[in-house]
Amino acid sequence: MIATRRATLLAAAALPLPALVRAQGTEGPIRIGFPTPLTGAFGTEAQDQVRAAEVAVAEFNESGGLGGRRAELLVRDDRLNPGEAATRTLELIERDRVDFLVGGLSAAVQLAINNVAKERKVLFNSISQSDAINEARDWGPTTFHEALNPHMTAGAVARHALPRFGKRWAFLTADYAYGHEMVRGFQRAGQPLGMETLADIRHPTGATDYSTFLPRIAGLRPDVLCLCNFGRDQQIAVKQAGDFGLKRNVKLVAPVLLYTARLAGGGPAFEGVVGGTSYYWRLEETVPSARAFNDRFRRQHGNRVPSDYGALGYGGVRTVLEAAKAAGGTDTAKVVEAMRALRYDYYKGPQYYRGCDHQSVQSVLVIEAKANTARGEADVFDIVAQEGPEERFLRSCEELGHKA
Amino acid sequence: MSGTAAPTRARLPGLAPLAEWGMRHRVFGTWLALAALPLLLPSTALATSVVAYGLYALGFNLLFGWGGLLSFGHAALLGGGAYATGIAIAHYGAPWWAAIGVAPVAGAGVAFLMGVLAVRTRGIYFAMVTLALSQCAYHVAYQAVGWTGGENGLRGVNLREVALPFGMVLDGLDPRVRYGLVAVAAGLAVAAVSRVLDSPFGAALAALRENEARARACGYDVRAVRLLAFVLSGAVCGLAGGLLAIHLSVVPVETMHYATSGLAVMLAILGGMHSFFGPFAGAAAFLLLESAVARWTEHWPLVAGTVFMLCVLFFREGIWGTLVGWLRR
Repeated sequence: MIATRRATLLAAAALPLPALVRAQGTEGPIRIGFPTPLTGAFGTEAQDQVRAAEVAVAEFNESGGLGGRRAELLVRDDRLNPGEAATRTLELIERDRVDFLVGGLSAAVQLAINNVAKERKVLFNSISQSDAINEARDWGPTTFHEALNPHMTAGAVARHALPRFGKRWAFLTADYAYGHEMVRGFQRAGQPLGMETLADIRHPTGATDYSTFLPRIAGLRPDVLCLCNFGRDQQIAVKQAGDFGLKRNVKLVAPVLLYTARLAGGGPAFEGVVGGTSYYWRLEETVPSARAFNDRFRRQHGNRVPSDYGALGYGGVRTVLEAAKAAGGTDTAKVVEAMRALRYDYYKGPQYYRGCDHQSVQSVLVIEAKANTARGEADVFDIVAQEGPEERFLRSCEELGHKA
Repeated sequence: MSGTAAPTRARLPGLAPLAEWGMRHRVFGTWLALAALPLLLPSTALATSVVAYGLYALGFNLLFGWGGLLSFGHAALLGGGAYATGIAIAHYGAPWWAAIGVAPVAGAGVAFLMGVLAVRTRGIYFAMVTLALSQCAYHVAYQAVGWTGGENGLRGVNLREVALPFGMVLDGLDPRVRYGLVAVAAGLAVAAVSRVLDSPFGAALAALRENEARARACGYDVRAVRLLAFVLSGAVCGLAGGLLAIHLSVVPVETMHYATSGLAVMLAILGGMHSFFGPFAGAAAFLLLESAVARWTEHWPLVAGTVFMLCVLFFREGIWGTLVGWLRR
């Protein structure tokens, strides 16, 4: 009896809370849910994504918002765990009533967020690499992909590296989706150019010792060693390959050369490594929008420059907010139409979302790491080539399973 | 004992009988808690997670708290159930009752395979064998990309509608429907577990925990009792996995990761391994703490770790066990 009375009291006390939260939902600020792995292996990149997203929100609000409606960023830690990301996304949609979702760092996490969001018809703009999210099985009409995908990235690097460094390639691949998709991208782009795959050696993610693989790779006498791994794995593999003396005869290539990994790994270890990226701050020397974005970022965040993945946070949030402005509201269907119609140049040159899969068609930068940092600490790469933006570098809509 | 009891009872009138009532009617008490949970927690999604993880910890505790066997491989049981439900929905479009139904069967199946090998060992060896076997299960799930989605996880576990008898159809995307489904399934499982613990089998399990040699001398088949306990634990954890899959609409391969096995141990100890409701309380406390602290600092594991250490050092019976102990004094 006492228990039921207490339960009733507690229930009565708790009831008005959700009702209050819901009441604000419709006419308050524009709410953007931003799940990202603040803790875990990609914490550095994630925190930079948040900083860049804050820049986009601040710019929007300073320019008067959407008829006075301000934007608000709801950052949530997904711990790089898809289950956690799904829970946070459910909360963002069901309780916080967000208008849009931007975020995700890692293929599995963005696919989990996407599955939750598309079922509930909430617009999601993904800002990290994945091939699967473009495919008809995972894609939904409210799914957008602002980041590059492995097919584009690996393709651009392969087309740059093959004619210059040689046709005999060995792969050292982290044994998960990212690694496999990258190898597939390299091989597809390399096949018409006469690429010869000597070996595709798989290592578990999070490996710290590559000494067992390196003699085998040296014995194969490749022209190019392609490191299809990410973050700390890449950093350690590059260092150990250098220590082993592999760099004397073999060119090291990585699909995505991370700004943060290079900073952590140091100049001498990375010197000469070639890779792809979506953004590097020295793009500002040729692209005015990059200069504007960098200047604004420096001003807001203590004179630092945005990283590659960080810049995606800016692009992802800004496109959604600009589309909301163009649509004159936050109605999902109208904003989706506005996003599809965007032809934009916000931070890295011209971009647009392809009609069938909402993949952002954009340029891929090929960069080379250097030890000599003449322009200061942050000057770690040279941009050696730029590919696109062109749809022919993407997989075709039919191949992805979309009806034409 | 009675000397210290008197002032406490005077200070907290009514609460000691409440605790007594809760101990006597543990199933009904749990049901009440399940009914109140969405009102107490900040979001229905969090409440649903708490119920699923609470059931997982309860299933684990069947073996740990009541059977005295520390397993480090329960992620394989949770994952087995999660993938069974996930594959049933994503690949075969199964209705909700079938999708939930296969989860405990799959969990029990995985538990049987693991148990046959593991119950021959004891103590640290039992922990190691279960850990090794669950790692095998993890890598099977990791490699079977066609079925499980591998590293990318299994997507598309979308339960769009819940068809009830008499033509009633509920919206599967409604958080309240999802919570109701999960809570009812968990509530039934809790009743079943309670009944099992009250049975002669439950007594045999306790006897084994207290004194194995003596239980053997009394004529109990030690391996058979332990294997059965492992399988029952697997069925409960499998069900929890299935409910989690329906809740999240994805099955990440991380479900099978050994960190998830560790989570079960942590939830059970945090809540109180010697109380029936403890694992639920542990799940509620941990998930709530995590979501609250993570809101203002990314260093939330520091706080969670400190709370866990305090529990182990000063509250050996866990949050719930200590609370009930105080009230009953």
